[in-house]
Amino acid sequence: MIDLAANFLWMFLVVIGGVLISWSVHFVPVGGAPAAMAQATGIGTGTVQLAAGAGLTGLISAGYMMQVVDNLPLILASGTVGAMIMISVTMIVGTWVYVYGVGCVPSSAKVKVDPITHDRQDLYVSQGTEGHGLPTVSFVSGVIGGALGGFGGSLVYYALLKVGMGVAEVDANMIGLVAIFAVGIFFVNAVIPSYNIGGTIEGFHDPKWKKWPKAVISSFVATIFCAIVAVIAILQLGGL
Amino acid sequence: MSAGGDGGGAKSNLPPNTIIGIGAAGGLIGIYLAHFLPATFSFFGGIAAICAIVWGADAVRRVASYGLGTGVPSIGMIALGMGIVAALFGLSIGGVAGPIVSFITAAVIGAIIGVLANKVIGMGIPIMERAMVEIAGAGTLAIIGLSTVIAGTFEYGAVLDTVVSTGFIAMIFIMGGMGILHPFNANLGPDEKQDRTLILGVEKGALAMVIAGLASSINEGLGPAFVTILVGLTIWYLAFNKYFGFVKRDAYAVVGTGLLPSEEELQ
Repeated sequence: MIDLAANFLWMFLVVIGGVLISWSVHFVPVGGAPAAMAQATGIGTGTVQLAAGAGLTGLISAGYMMQVVDNLPLILASGTVGAMIMISVTMIVGTWVYVYGVGCVPSSAKVKVDPITHDRQDLYVSQGTEGHGLPTVSFVSGVIGGALGGFGGSLVYYALLKVGMGVAEVDANMIGLVAIFAVGIFFVNAVIPSYNIGGTIEGFHDPKWKKWPKAVISSFVATIFCAIVAVIAILQLGGL
Repeated sequence: MSAGGDGGGAKSNLPPNTIIGIGAAGGLIGIYLAHFLPATFSFFGGIAAICAIVWGADAVRRVASYGLGTGVPSIGMIALGMGIVAALFGLSIGGVAGPIVSFITAAVIGAIIGVLANKVIGMGIPIMERAMVEIAGAGTLAIIGLSTVIAGTFEYGAVLDTVVSTGFIAMIFIMGGMGILHPFNANLGPDEKQDRTLILGVEKGALAMVIAGLASSINEGLGPAFVTILVGLTIWYLAFNKYFGFVKRDAYAVVGTGLLPSEEELQ
């Protein structure tokens, strides 16, 4: 009854989704605890929380769209935009806090000029800090990260739900099972890159960003195993 | 943001192998007791979860003492991410051997991620592979234990009906993760002591047990739910008192600051 070959396409999509999630984390400006004290550029919390916040919002918006239509591009677009909105709101509110609350200028310590606006950065970095707030380039990078994460997350969800649809009627059990597998795979692929970047990154202009192939390869291998295990468990729904 | 110390292994009074024994054996025995005994005894699932959570918390403190480069919560989240995939897989194909199949699957996934973390990403933590295996196994047993409290059994169909489709699985995910990541996250630093960290794990596990007991009232009726909540609250009370005692023991001094000064006093 367990027919992995017939579900090869869906497993492949799960792996692609996992790899995209892993790549997306490198774009999100994660500042960690130093950023929470306005001593490093980025949002003041950890990678996992940010990626999970944005990616799970993407999952929810993709799941909502899936109730209405069974069209892959629309579902992916819904998940992508949901995650982009979530990360943008997080970043803009964070910027308000840094600018009006802490009273510091958004600036990056990793580059001399912002690659997008060409504004000088180094003049505005407070002494003893590694930048603070979210300069334009980090914001844009974060939105790209949200888009990739939401796209990857909804791809995982869609592919796993398709596996389930092949063996049984869609019901609450299947949706719950697929959603929790998508969340599990999401967390695994959000933590692997966070170890790769060592906790903080400013965005695609950060030198650490170039390390992404390592995390993507790791996520690729790890997600293959998670995908096989998830597909087998979902296929068991047919026998209940 | 390097949380958790300056590298080097953590000092332990209880050797790791003892805690692995408590976690793995206690976890599996508790889950099977909760499964085979009548509904009144489903609190054994919670005890299994507490054993697993203490094991996970100890594995986290050993690996995070080397400095992960990022926050301790990440490792709790990956534990439960791996755990949930392995747990549901094992229950789906294992039948009565479900928890054991889940446990082995978790160990395999954990080993793969541990090897990737050291060999590909290059984290260079000597015990990474072993710790990932332990953390994945502990996360899996915590999830199955709490699911067994709610469902009264670990049969795949019953767990799907009462735990997954109701959404309690998300609650279990976060509570189990909290139990594994929070003890070390709250106690880390140069004065971290194993007994203080682990008793906080017991306290967190007991809280998870109380909440799982509340959730089980839908499926198992008020009687068994009441027993689970009562046992959970008792363990929580004892563990919290003990933890507070350890905090006072390890603190330089515990002093009262009094109430906030009033406006007149500030002038």
